[in-house]
Amino acid sequence: MTLPDQALKAAIPDLRNVPLDRLAELGDSVLAESIALYRQRLLDSGVPVYRFNSGI
Amino acid sequence: MITTHQLPEEAFTALARGDGDPAVVRHLSDVQRSKHLMLLHDIAAGAEGAGPGSPEIAAFRAGWELLVKVQEADPDAFAWVSGLPHIGAWAHDCLERKDRGLLPDLGYLAAAAVAAAVRAGVQFELDVPVKDGRVLLPGLGYFHGLGAGSRVRLRGDAERLTVGALTEAPRTALVPDGGSGDPVQHWQGTHAARAVADGRTWTVLLETGDRYLDRFALPMSAALTAKEVTSWQECIQSAWEVLVRHHGWAAGSIAAGVSVIIPLTAHGDTDLDSATTPAAFGAIATSLPPDPVIMAEILVHEFQHLKLCGLEDIAPLTEPSDERVYAPWRPDPRPVGGLLQGVYAHLGMARFWAAQRHLETDPDDILRAQVMFERWRSMIEPVTATLLRTGRLTQPGARFVALLRDQGQRLESEVVPADVSAVARKVALDHRLTWQLRHTAIDATAVTDLATAYQAGEPRSGRLLPEGRIEEDTRTVDPTTRSRLLNMRFLEPRRYSELSDAGLPGLSAADRLLLSGQASRAVRAYRDQISAAPEPLAEAWTGLALAIHLLGQTPFLPAFDTGLPLMFDVHACLAARGIRSDPLELASWLG
Repeated sequence: MTLPDQALKAAIPDLRNVPLDRLAELGDSVLAESIALYRQRLLDSGVPVYRFNSGI
Repeated sequence: MITTHQLPEEAFTALARGDGDPAVVRHLSDVQRSKHLMLLHDIAAGAEGAGPGSPEIAAFRAGWELLVKVQEADPDAFAWVSGLPHIGAWAHDCLERKDRGLLPDLGYLAAAAVAAAVRAGVQFELDVPVKDGRVLLPGLGYFHGLGAGSRVRLRGDAERLTVGALTEAPRTALVPDGGSGDPVQHWQGTHAARAVADGRTWTVLLETGDRYLDRFALPMSAALTAKEVTSWQECIQSAWEVLVRHHGWAAGSIAAGVSVIIPLTAHGDTDLDSATTPAAFGAIATSLPPDPVIMAEILVHEFQHLKLCGLEDIAPLTEPSDERVYAPWRPDPRPVGGLLQGVYAHLGMARFWAAQRHLETDPDDILRAQVMFERWRSMIEPVTATLLRTGRLTQPGARFVALLRDQGQRLESEVVPADVSAVARKVALDHRLTWQLRHTAIDATAVTDLATAYQAGEPRSGRLLPEGRIEEDTRTVDPTTRSRLLNMRFLEPRRYSELSDAGLPGLSAADRLLLSGQASRAVRAYRDQISAAPEPLAEAWTGLALAIHLLGQTPFLPAFDTGLPLMFDVHACLAARGIRSDPLELASWLG
């Protein structure tokens, strides 16, 4: 549960300073879970990203 | 140990209020970089299992290895390329293609890696795919004149880049085209606009070459003429002046967060469209607006969407739901997430017009600004109430909407002239009543029972009225000339005056009375029109409901406020039996 005075934790791992050739080493743990979560959110949102949403 | 991104509470609060300074926007951009790398890993995992045979996979692997070198040699160049909206759009396309069992465009990564290597001055040699005789280096530009071949070898070092046997060029000349560099043979830098106002600079690309950013309702303008490039640059410059001088709360964050404008080709002179996508943070697509103030408003509006997309990648604000609700700016029922996106964008627009209405000098522009402000500020309260009522907000989402609502309430204290308020109210009512009739379904059995009781002269008391449910296009209600004129009154006042002088052609007598402010006579005229017609007239019913609202407190108001679809269906049921019913008597009976 997120309390109002706490920072929001993202489901996306901070990969900015991870060497690209080390990403594969993370693959079966944090990354796989985050990717699955993100893809599920794309499905839930119903926005087809291959045909971008236009208008609001 | 890997950590996740975190958004400080004050940044969340600022975003919910429609703000978010450049530091907050940079935070959102950092999350997007990580997202792109995460998706890149997913694409790489798919390519890993595909075997080494394909030139596309070979190009992907070569691109990957080059990116590893760039990251080691020049982290800033790596951060630049991994944050490009081009990469986000391409990565999402790869996901979609993978899900549909199609081969992703893996070779694109090689070209992206070359773009980063060119910026970094890293040595490389690799083959990249050629499409339509071009090699696109995302974020920089493209080589053209490469003929029909499917790939070409690129070699680069700290000094020069060689493109097969076609050409070679100094590395530092391979930059976006701001209009001041020496031309390089076979190279077209991506057009760029550099806007400066009061010492503040915003540089933005005009992207016309990347097919992954060509996914909007209107097509991307594939080739801008020199005159068109100048028009865009002048429009962006003038809009930037408007933002810097009068909308400082938005200017800095837009400069920090918007790196790409995608010019769209309009189908006609009045066809203005703009859009953003969560797949390409930092990019705004738009057709060329008619004036710089509208361009500035589009930037504010669309950047609100981008901020919210960025925030929702950190913390989802809505839960999955099939529920559809009314959005006062859309003709169709919207999902809860769409409603949140819309009201957040309109908060930005209301704030924009709140300031702009005091700056305009032309009477027509003043009217437009005043009505836009009134129209959009007054719907923040009901829309946020709808959002909270749905129960489909996450905990951060409920907090976000409460803060947004609070910001909207602050705008409520500002005074607008009564005539402006009247124009905005009519437009809003016409929109809501039309939407109600179009999308509210009523149980057919209940309608038949009520029609039978009415026909028999029985009292209505004791019979429960059926609840409506939202169902897209449950009745055909065509867009009316009346609605277009209500909007034209403040969007194109001169044209409206001309049509008024010509007697408002194309309108019914009842519509003319309504538009001229004669609500009482309009009620009678609509009543006569409906009573005399053998078929139900949806446009006349919405006109009657509008006129009843403008009359103010009448006994009919409750029925016409929420019961229009039911009255229409009962009337239609009676008409099908050959009975012409009086709409006001029916409204009185239904209560």
